[in-house]
Amino acid sequence: MWIVRTSQLLVVAIVAGLWEAASQRGWVDPNLLPPLSKIGSVLFALLHDDRLLSDLALTITEVSAAFTIVGPLGLLVGFFLGEQPPVYRALGPVLHVLLATPKSIFLPVFILAFGIGFLEKVIFAVTLSFFIVLLSGIAAAQSVPAGLVTVARSFGATRLKLYLFIYLPAMQPLIVEGLRMALIFSITGVLLAEMYGSAHGVGRLIFAWGEMFRMPELFAGVLLIVMITVAVNELLRVAENVGRSRRRGF
Amino acid sequence: MNHRPTARAGSVEIIKVERLSKQYGSGANSLRALSDISLSVSEGQFVTVVGPSGCGKSTLLLILAGLVSPSSGDVWIDGAAVTGPLPEKISVMFQEAWLLPWKTAVENVEFPLMLRGAPFAIRRPRALSLLQLVGLEGFANRYPGELSGGMKQRVAIARSLVQEPRVLLMDEPFAALDEQTRTRMGNELLQVWEKFGRTVVFVTHGLTEAIYLADFVFVMSARPGRILERFHVELPRPRTIEMIGNEAFGRLRNRIWHLIGGA
Amino acid sequence: MIVRIRRLLVRLTLFLAFVGCWEAAYRAGLLNPIIFAAPSVIVKAAVKDGWTFLAAFRVTVLEITMAILMAWCFGIIFGVIAGSLPILARISAPMLSAVIALPLVVIYPVLLVWFGLGVTSKIVFGTISGVFPIALNTLTGVQSIDHGFATMARAMGANRRQIMFRVMAPLALPAIIAGLRLGTALIVIGVVLSEMLASTDGIGFWISYHRSLFNTGQVYLGIILALSITILVNMILSFVERMHFRGGDERFVR
Ligand SMILES: Nc1ncnc2c1ncn2[C@@H]1O[C@H](COP(=O)(O)OP(=O)(O)OP(=O)(O)O)[C@@H](O)[C@H]1O
Ligand SMILES: [Mg+2]
Repeated sequence: MWIVRTSQLLVVAIVAGLWEAASQRGWVDPNLLPPLSKIGSVLFALLHDDRLLSDLALTITEVSAAFTIVGPLGLLVGFFLGEQPPVYRALGPVLHVLLATPKSIFLPVFILAFGIGFLEKVIFAVTLSFFIVLLSGIAAAQSVPAGLVTVARSFGATRLKLYLFIYLPAMQPLIVEGLRMALIFSITGVLLAEMYGSAHGVGRLIFAWGEMFRMPELFAGVLLIVMITVAVNELLRVAENVGRSRRRGF
Repeated sequence: MNHRPTARAGSVEIIKVERLSKQYGSGANSLRALSDISLSVSEGQFVTVVGPSGCGKSTLLLILAGLVSPSSGDVWIDGAAVTGPLPEKISVMFQEAWLLPWKTAVENVEFPLMLRGAPFAIRRPRALSLLQLVGLEGFANRYPGELSGGMKQRVAIARSLVQEPRVLLMDEPFAALDEQTRTRMGNELLQVWEKFGRTVVFVTHGLTEAIYLADFVFVMSARPGRILERFHVELPRPRTIEMIGNEAFGRLRNRIWHLIGGA
Repeated sequence: MIVRIRRLLVRLTLFLAFVGCWEAAYRAGLLNPIIFAAPSVIVKAAVKDGWTFLAAFRVTVLEITMAILMAWCFGIIFGVIAGSLPILARISAPMLSAVIALPLVVIYPVLLVWFGLGVTSKIVFGTISGVFPIALNTLTGVQSIDHGFATMARAMGANRRQIMFRVMAPLALPAIIAGLRLGTALIVIGVVLSEMLASTDGIGFWISYHRSLFNTGQVYLGIILALSITILVNMILSFVERMHFRGGDERFVR
């Protein structure tokens, strides 16, 4: 295992090293690809910049709003569908069409409907994430071993205890997976909506930096987004795998 | 029926293994699977190999097939030293049929011939007649996904005969089947064998199956696998289910059972 | 055959009913005309601006085709290589899924600076949008092929090339096609979105243009054209899949 981790770090290090060298030595135009070291220092300076911080705060608020709505909503509706096979079977085809439809192309319609602003961003992000989260919810409900439920019932477990001690632990990995999907799709949705039309937010900022050819700031912004997303994503993936590996003995 | 080449002393030696050893991996992780195996099989014999789980039966078979190379020692089949697959002399069957799911039964049977570029007019009739031999003439155009486990293995038997090999190596081919089907498949295999008189090396976990099918039973020790003993099964052929109940059969079965258990 | 025709008829009826209801609701004043365009409004938009959209469609299709070619090639080649080398698979699979989780759209401004407003930036962005899922799916598909197939083929006398192309590639095909489906949908979205964000031509450009003028009919016309590309590519992939896997093996039925 350590060899895999080391190799992954090595790949990242080599890419970073090549980037730095290419830019420093002029193999590429440093105006187009600034050295990583410079991007790092710009990023550090930006983190003390009020403008960026307020934009970042807005974006985080939008993402959090979308996430808090779509995470529970998608999982609960999905759980309900997974628990009610007849309903699921009836709605299945429609769901799959909706799932396969690229939602982000409808972004202009969201602007037509809600104008440009906080509401539009959140609703767009929720729509973008909803069906993926829904799938996790359905899978979670279906992942509970029927035998386990029967056994618990035979011991006289109440409904509440059944949900608390049987369903929830059994579904934990898929619930975390659903939340992870909710989060990464909310991030994508909010950033896209900000880039497409907005006065504030990190997405807008990044897009504006691009238009002004301010490459160090642009790359710093991209790097910031990448670091945040990777951190969040890996964290949730670890949580997911903890649940999975604990159950391997079953 | 009775003119097949039987296990007679002095008949042609078709498989010869000398001082064969196999070690997987190297250094601290190395694992000794086979140790100093020597054996020989005469043409036309049906021999079975039994031994405790993990003793290296599959490894031995893979080496005979030229699919795994030994760490030391030599293998000759039909006079040729085995250094790689010899598809025209040897065919192999495993616990799973490994039929290509996008080809029909008959296309799977003729696949080895197709690999060698044999024309349709030659390979198709041969494949069809082999399917008939294993009782699947009505299923030639079915896909593997539409066949039962036993039927899949029958297709695999047909496929392993299509290149007319001298030796059939079978690694627990019926282990995944239910008891009934396994017994029936064993009988069918014997019929095919009596008809063609090919040499068969058959690995199994079932002692009854091993004795019932074989001229000789090779018993292997726990890992690293060695040949502990070779038993001659002197039951007449064709074999019948009733023989399983008779006393000689039981005695032999007990001896092998204790040999494996005590090893 | 008859079953398929019947299913097609059922779907067509459902679709027509849906369109009818939509139109009726619109006429009854139930739908806000700024947000929803009735089918008749979309048709009117098509009559008025059809030629502009058709010209834009050609540009978009060209960009998508180029992006598809690149993403499919790179994705499949990398996936096949990494999938057949266990150590490379263990290293790259988690990295690929980490990249897939990124909001890749943030690098589009970089591509705009590097390649300008023209078609190149769209092609590159489309490629980047699609290549990682294709690589990951191919990788897992190739990786999960049981070695038994290869051993068996070797025993039957297949050489390396035959094992690769006659056994392993067809076995990996369902997973590869699943990856191509996903990746291609992302390519289409990526190209159209990048046109919407900043461009001088293409479906996405006209969608954005008409959105700012509140021409809802034209916006929907553009969206429908973009979706039709996704549907078309999916149909082609399904066709390839069906041609190859007429068999009934459960692994190949989806
Ligand atoms: N490719 C390999 N690499 C490393 N070790 C292996 C490999 N194949 C088999 N072994 C090891 O060699 C030993 C013998 O394996 P083999 O499969 O030949 O046993 P077997 O007698 O066929 O077992 P079983 O009865 O369970 O089928 C086992 O301990 C196994 O773990
Ligand atoms: Mg074995």
